[in-house]
Amino acid sequence: MSGYSILVDTSKCTACRGCQIACKEWNQLAGTATKNTGSYENPKDLSSDTYKIVRFAEGQGANGKAFWHFFTEQCRHCLSPGCMAEVEEDEIVVDEKTGAVVYTPKTKDLDFKATLEGCPYDIPRQDAKTKVLTKCTFCNDRVGNGMLPACVKACPTGAMTFGKRDEIVAAAKKREAELKKDFPKAVALTPDDVRVIYVLKDDPKTYWKYAAGR
Amino acid sequence: MNVTRREFLAISGAVGAGLALSSLGIDLGPAKAYADEVRIDKVKSAKQSTTICPYCGVGCGIICYTDTKAGNIINTEGDPDHPINEGSLCAKGSALYQISSNNPDRLKKVLYRAPGSDKWEEKSWDWALAEIAKRVKKTRDQYFIEKNGKGQEVNRVEAIAHIGSAALDNEECWPVQAMMRALGLVYVEHQARI
Repeated sequence: MSGYSILVDTSKCTACRGCQIACKEWNQLAGTATKNTGSYENPKDLSSDTYKIVRFAEGQGANGKAFWHFFTEQCRHCLSPGCMAEVEEDEIVVDEKTGAVVYTPKTKDLDFKATLEGCPYDIPRQDAKTKVLTKCTFCNDRVGNGMLPACVKACPTGAMTFGKRDEIVAAAKKREAELKKDFPKAVALTPDDVRVIYVLKDDPKTYWKYAAGR
Repeated sequence: MNVTRREFLAISGAVGAGLALSSLGIDLGPAKAYADEVRIDKVKSAKQSTTICPYCGVGCGIICYTDTKAGNIINTEGDPDHPINEGSLCAKGSALYQISSNNPDRLKKVLYRAPGSDKWEEKSWDWALAEIAKRVKKTRDQYFIEKNGKGQEVNRVEAIAHIGSAALDNEECWPVQAMMRALGLVYVEHQARI
């Protein structure tokens, strides 16, 4: 499978949220009114103005130790996108060169509920005014012009890397093996199914309810 | 396997120039596709100039993309050639675009909250500058310390503090610092450290 992929090594993420803001900045999305809910996680959910959000999860692990997991949520750009089940023409297209799953303005004619249900990761959102469906674009405009996706470029810790798909898949599997030495539950999330591959140190459910899909 | 930022520029040659979306040969509809195209094209043809992130002491390098026709900044992002951040930025640095002049949410008028009041009032710059000057002079005249307890000449003002600004660059901070020191201030601080 050709095209590109993004590796998100959450073991290196410090939750600075540089990626989240870089995404907003590049896509020129409006700010969202936020409030303090006792977590640094803000805004509370993805929306037509927020394509990417860092999820903060804290709790007590099976070993009795406290954990604080960070999960920078975005579209996985599936190889077989479930959100495309309702597509009749080209409301949602896959760029063959990059592999990006791109929502076009025609998504306004799609059934939003059905499209959302088709996504295992609860990613698509709808613009209330235009009815257009929105999500991460894989920065397809940037990638097609020799630039890194805005989130990957911003990442200061190297938690996010971008590259040719086969190399990223290999890197994800290698990192999973490395982490397994110290974290037996470490897992690379379905590298053969998605383009945005997360490597976690723990059970995906302790990161975010839809981290590994519904 | 880590693809560095520079290497990516090389491998991406395979993708070819031009917008990937348009190569699909389908009509993406007017609005979004047009917006994407305009933005990436504008950024590609923009004048690039470098600056240093004003927020903290790390000093990350940032590239400002200026649309020379419109004369405004249209994008800011990390400078891959800068030795400190190598193109990366944290949330604050990534948000630098918001302090450019084309952010519609920026305050454009002086807001004044009187002592004891819980409301902001709009005021003119002339009023604000005259009022600041008047109050600085009054407080400085009243509390100016020429000599300390040991009789040494110190010429300082402890009754006024200056704070700011995280949106100033190094060159702008210099005149601020020089002026505040000239007044005799010793409490000169910057909110990015607080």
